[in-house]
Amino acid sequence: MGALVPIYLAGLAALSLPLIFHLVRRTPRGRQDFSSLMFLSPTVPKLTRRSRLDQLLLLLLRLAALALVVFAFSRPFLREASLLSLGDLSGRRVALLIDTSASMRRGDLWQQAVKRAEKELDDLNPQDDVALFAFGDRLQTIIDFAKEGAGPIADKPGVVRTRLRELKPDWGSTDLGTALVAVAGEIDSTSDVQQSALEPQIVVISDFQVGSRIDALRSFEWPKQVPVVAHRVALAKTTNATAQILPNEEGDELTETRVRVVNAADSKVDQFFLAWAKEPSFIKRPGETGVYVPAGQSRVIKLPRGVDDLTAECIVLRGDDQEFDNAYYVVPPRKQAVTMLYVGTDKLDSPEGLQYFLRLAVANDPLRQVEVRLVDDKKPLFTPTDPPPGAVVVSRAISPEWQTSLKSYVERGGLLLLVPENRDAAQLIPAFIDDVELASAETPVAAPGKYLLLGEIDFAHPLFAPFASPRYSDFTKIHFWKHVPLTMKTPTKTHVVARFDNGEPALLERLSGHGRVIALTSGWQPGDSQLALSTKFVPLIGAVLDLAGKDSEVAAGVSIHEPVALPAQQGKSAIAVVGPGRQETRLEAGQTSFAATDRPGIYLAKTSPQPTRFAVNLAAAESNTAPLDLDQLAQSGVKLGIELTRNERLERVRQHRDTELEGRQKIWRWLVVLALGTLILESFLAGRAARELRTAAATPT
Amino acid sequence: MSLDRQSPDASKASPGRGARGLQHIDPTALMRIKNLELRAKAVVDGFLSGLHRSPYHGFSVEFTEYRQYSPGDDLRFLDWRLFARSDRYYLKRFEDETNLRCYLLVDLSRSMAFRSAPREYNKAEYAKTVAATIAYFLTLQRDAVGLITFDQAIRDYLPARFRTGHMHRLMMCLEQAPAGTATDLSLPLEQIARTARKRGLVVLLSDLLAPIEMLETKLGYLRSQGHDVVLIRTLDPVEVNFQFQDESLFFDMESGRELYVDPHAVRASYQAKFAAHANELKRICSSHGMDYYELTTDQPLDMALFDLLNARLRRGRPVARRQGAARSSNPGGR
Repeated sequence: MGALVPIYLAGLAALSLPLIFHLVRRTPRGRQDFSSLMFLSPTVPKLTRRSRLDQLLLLLLRLAALALVVFAFSRPFLREASLLSLGDLSGRRVALLIDTSASMRRGDLWQQAVKRAEKELDDLNPQDDVALFAFGDRLQTIIDFAKEGAGPIADKPGVVRTRLRELKPDWGSTDLGTALVAVAGEIDSTSDVQQSALEPQIVVISDFQVGSRIDALRSFEWPKQVPVVAHRVALAKTTNATAQILPNEEGDELTETRVRVVNAADSKVDQFFLAWAKEPSFIKRPGETGVYVPAGQSRVIKLPRGVDDLTAECIVLRGDDQEFDNAYYVVPPRKQAVTMLYVGTDKLDSPEGLQYFLRLAVANDPLRQVEVRLVDDKKPLFTPTDPPPGAVVVSRAISPEWQTSLKSYVERGGLLLLVPENRDAAQLIPAFIDDVELASAETPVAAPGKYLLLGEIDFAHPLFAPFASPRYSDFTKIHFWKHVPLTMKTPTKTHVVARFDNGEPALLERLSGHGRVIALTSGWQPGDSQLALSTKFVPLIGAVLDLAGKDSEVAAGVSIHEPVALPAQQGKSAIAVVGPGRQETRLEAGQTSFAATDRPGIYLAKTSPQPTRFAVNLAAAESNTAPLDLDQLAQSGVKLGIELTRNERLERVRQHRDTELEGRQKIWRWLVVLALGTLILESFLAGRAARELRTAAATPT
Repeated sequence: MSLDRQSPDASKASPGRGARGLQHIDPTALMRIKNLELRAKAVVDGFLSGLHRSPYHGFSVEFTEYRQYSPGDDLRFLDWRLFARSDRYYLKRFEDETNLRCYLLVDLSRSMAFRSAPREYNKAEYAKTVAATIAYFLTLQRDAVGLITFDQAIRDYLPARFRTGHMHRLMMCLEQAPAGTATDLSLPLEQIARTARKRGLVVLLSDLLAPIEMLETKLGYLRSQGHDVVLIRTLDPVEVNFQFQDESLFFDMESGRELYVDPHAVRASYQAKFAAHANELKRICSSHGMDYYELTTDQPLDMALFDLLNARLRRGRPVARRQGAARSSNPGGR
């Protein structure tokens, strides 16, 4: 015999009420006429020793009616089977989802996670199926559920345990949402397909940091039958801060790096120290910069490179409890070697010539080592042994052979800058840019006091992009006295980057093959214009060299597993990428994208002709280690379940069976009928007793 | 009234030793006489026979006091015998004989219908017998007797008369059963004060189980009119000692109110309140020079009558006094 809702049996306490009422007996046995009640006060009925029970039959009937109602409410049933065994438990499909993101490298989180997972494996029943998944920024299926048709794996929990111990946290970010969606979709669909009676369940073991991405859950309708049991592993020491280098703004000194320091919301410390370092070791260094960041906030500071730190590869942060995200890598600036050929008649030391100013402009470039080489007429323009020059500047008339070799140079990707010093040299412009022609035979000489200005400039063009800001876009102080008047044919493929204020082209660009031809219709030397003497000249030449640049290193800030676009490879050979641990990965031929970045550090891609270096860092969100409120998962639609022990599940099964049994037997109906019968009998007897009392009272005393 | 003076000890009424060893009539036996007039007659006759002295002696002129002679006094009243004995002149003073006017105010409210278990008659029966007895006794003395019966209102009013048939009418009025849902003591008193021009004796027979706030005023007014007032409080013994045993629902016979009462629990407080009420009544009577008697229904009726007359004799002759000198009243009643 059992009771479905045994709490109602507490209602048996109400049995004391009839007893009390019978003992209290508020109605006295007799009535007494009295002349006046003016001296009497009412007596409160109370239980005394003299009280005794009478109307025993009525009392028993009332007690019985109450007890029957109470038993009916407790929904009794007759238990048929004896105790449940573990074999009566329905099987489960448990997906163990373990977090292997970088934040799990903190402290003993990983050991905690493994322990927790092993406890889950211990709690499995023989009829349960289990699968192991690891997730960071992507989901890995370590061991899948048993497939239909495939034979069962012997001692699957043991196999899972072995594979679990082989797992290690990597450096990836945490994409919890995608992992949950993938596993839930998988477990739900396979359950449907196999018509499995096993109860699906996802057990997530993670540190559930705020930096976990859960966006994927929002667009996913969570299957109701798949509950998620979340086990959070946590550390006692929670202070964590990270530093990231921000891209420089225009005008900033290249050596002055801006660093953002972010402190996690649950940090206990707010004082940290930053320093440039050649290797990521977190020791106290001389000259480190202190920064004060309250918990949950961020600060941006400038961290200039010292003289000794010019080749430092990372900044390190010191002062927090967790070191996994305390190094931020950046490729140190390395001077680019550019060779520039100059074809002209002016002397090296002549301040009236082009070459003099050109050499001055490229001399102090911090990013490039530019070699300006004057080409002699007696030698060939290009030698097969030397690498092709970065740019060729031509100011005089050249032979048709040279013209041909220059055209081929441009076709292969070279940059030709035409700055004609005289009418003859100006003939080169129509020779290389076929849709323009010289306007008149005479080169106009500006009258004294007459000059031209740059009137129409395309600041979107890379050449003028550095001047796009209104602070630098004023070209009105640069006067031009001489220029080569050109007329454009229509239609034209040539892009006029700048025009004089009389509408004639000042700077033209023509793309040809892989390279480009740039033509200036006026020279920069003082005889032609004030360009060389203006502040715009050096950036303009720098922009020309940027266009000619070959060794463009990948900017820092690429995250782990984020694809890196490598420069096009000359030739068909495959690119090899060397990681921070000296391990070499060879890409397939023709592949220029590399995503197998598995740890932070400086990577070197052996591209030709210049090798490419790029820095790979942790995803910024991974450093946000404050604990995530699990309610956010529930708000995203995830059905959060409760972890039940084996006995608790057994109890649930028992309750379920009891409910079914009780539903079949419905003893409560009979109890209610009995209670009603008892009440009718009680009413009848009570009525009779009351009549007798009234008769007795009416008899005179 | 021509009763003999009794010793003060005789006023301590007790059936055993009071009234010089009279064999009193058992009230239960008396009440079995259905006719009220016969009942009164039985009491009075027994009472008179027990007194040993005829009320007809010395009826006409009654001596009151001596006073020293002073020149100018009427020599007819000089006591020569005393002068012979003592050689002093004293005037012997007499009181004129007048007819007494007596008003009996009988409470016939429902509370008077109460009787406790062993008794076969209620307070009203007892009070009516007392009233009838007094009336009969006074009629024998040729005094005028009037009657007012009342509850919350005046039910019957018979002016004080002495004539043939008056006694019979009075008895007929008294025969009525108790009724009425309340007791208004002020109404009969006001009626007497309004109608009785001549001074007389006012006997109020009631259980006085009613508010008594106004009683003092009304009685004081009667007293100021010169009436002699006697309060005879008729009570059942149980009303005094509250000797109920079982807790019961007590039912107020007048108002119909019900109250659950455990006698054991409330007895002490009842008795205290009752005593306070009685003391207040006694105080009122004492302050106005009125007589106050408590008669419980288990007391013999002739005994009651004896006590009344005895006390009145002790007080001398307050009614129809010739001189206005106030006399001290017996504050304790009995």
